[in-house]
Amino acid sequence: MSTTLPLRPSIGRAASNCLSARPPRPAPHKKTPHPPAPAFANTTQPQDHIIYNPPSSAPNVYHTPLKFLPKSDRRRDLLLAQQRAAQAAAATYKPLSPFSTASPAASALASLSASAASGEAPPTPASPPIRVPYEKKYHLTPPQLEEMRKLRAHDPRKWTRVRLAEKFECSQFFVSLVCQAPQIKAERDAELENIKKRWGRQKRMAREDRVKRKESWGRDA
Amino acid sequence: MGEPIAAAAAAGHTTAIPRIPREALPSPPLSAARSSAKLSALHARLSLPSRLPLETLARTLIHPSADPNPDLNNASLALLGQDLLGYYTAEHLLAHYPRLPQTVLYAAQYAYVGGKTLAAVTREWGVEAAAEPGGEVDPGLLQFKRVKPGTDISGSSAGKTKGPDGVDRSEWRLGMGMRNVSGDEFGDINASSQDAAAGVTLEDASKTFVRALVGAVYLHCGQLSTKRFYASHFLSRQLDLSTLFAFRTPTRDLSRLCAREGFEAPVARLLSETGRLSRHPVFVVGVYSGPDKLGEGAGASLDEARTRAAAAALKSWYLYSPEEVTVPSEAEGKGDQGKRWVPCMVDCGEVIA
Repeated sequence: MSTTLPLRPSIGRAASNCLSARPPRPAPHKKTPHPPAPAFANTTQPQDHIIYNPPSSAPNVYHTPLKFLPKSDRRRDLLLAQQRAAQAAAATYKPLSPFSTASPAASALASLSASAASGEAPPTPASPPIRVPYEKKYHLTPPQLEEMRKLRAHDPRKWTRVRLAEKFECSQFFVSLVCQAPQIKAERDAELENIKKRWGRQKRMAREDRVKRKESWGRDA
Repeated sequence: MGEPIAAAAAAGHTTAIPRIPREALPSPPLSAARSSAKLSALHARLSLPSRLPLETLARTLIHPSADPNPDLNNASLALLGQDLLGYYTAEHLLAHYPRLPQTVLYAAQYAYVGGKTLAAVTREWGVEAAAEPGGEVDPGLLQFKRVKPGTDISGSSAGKTKGPDGVDRSEWRLGMGMRNVSGDEFGDINASSQDAAAGVTLEDASKTFVRALVGAVYLHCGQLSTKRFYASHFLSRQLDLSTLFAFRTPTRDLSRLCAREGFEAPVARLLSETGRLSRHPVFVVGVYSGPDKLGEGAGASLDEARTRAAAAALKSWYLYSPEEVTVPSEAEGKGDQGKRWVPCMVDCGEVIA
């Protein structure tokens, strides 16, 4: 005995609940049960509907961020209200996840769907910065700078920029501001030239291409 | 109704003086304008106001290299048109994008009304060039003396940039201050006093024609018509300003900007990634100042994504556009002709790192 399911206009499998409405039929042997509906399945809307889920794209640079709008701009209030509404919605929204929240994967999925629903809110908790932010210390005193200069002038081969930066706990850039060693610069340059001379055609081209690619980063975003 | 009579009078006038063969004239006579199909077609095609007579349209097509007589060529009209085009473009850009850096402003100005654009506009308008100027040529053709093949047109300023000490400065890089002070509306310092008798390129002649036409529309039809003509033929051209930027150190510039404006220092955070250990990883990085996202960028390495995100943030700073803008020329005119003047936003300037 078999029943044909009525053909329903359904947009996407996720939007129809016909699977659960299937009448039970006598099974000669035990089958594996149907997997539960996926996490993105809509469980709040009873009818068929259109799922609007556009692919993500980079934000338009013509849409000025809230922070960059001048104080007098009226769009500021609109954006602020929008942001507050999104935050309030994110705070009250409880995703109906079909997964039990026992497994870590399920809880991760649940939090993912929650962040997708909240829209433009920053990833919460804020994802860690790519580079560890540091505070400038401004801790070096004039006598220490004098010592740094003395060391560099005394033995520039031993007291390189890197070593001085380590010793005085400052950046290499700062060392270059304080003292330079032009006497070993020609030597180092010649060394580098020697190394470059040994490069073949492919390596040289690859290096040049890399420089060009890097320049293009600041041109088209 | 008055124009045909005037044209007939002009024709009658030319018949009164001793007849000169047309081939002897450097450019077509004014009387030929009424009988030129090309000229009438051009007038209609551009929807020019009927107050602009065909005779003036014919004059805008005569480059000084074809006819050195300043009463018959388009040099004076072109001068006026150049200033008008520069003015309308500059006020549009400055009022709508008050934070644009100077270099980008110059580039945008050139993209809207630069020589290459005007030459393209001439082509789009369907204006053809005469092979050689002369009195017998159809006045609907662009008349100019062509530069001889093989002439070096790139180094037209060669030899002129030598200072009193004999140092050739033609290869020197021009600073922005120099460009602002002694450059033209595109920030270029060019030797414009080129010898017209030696011939010009098609681009130069087209450029002069378009400028002269704008000047002629202004003289005959007034400012409103000129602004309408400008809006429909130049401002309507699509230009993506965000492609004109080139940052050398975007991350540093963004830090300087945030420090200047009193925002929290920018921090780059990883938004998403895929294939970190594969040959083609993609990282999406957002730049945040405090809790606010300033920009987003994608790249094949964390460094690339971070730099692109900083560049995007800088662009969104520079490309800020106020909601309602009144450009200065809109407020010109008496009584209800001009709009009420609302002062434009003036930005404190670009980031100097």
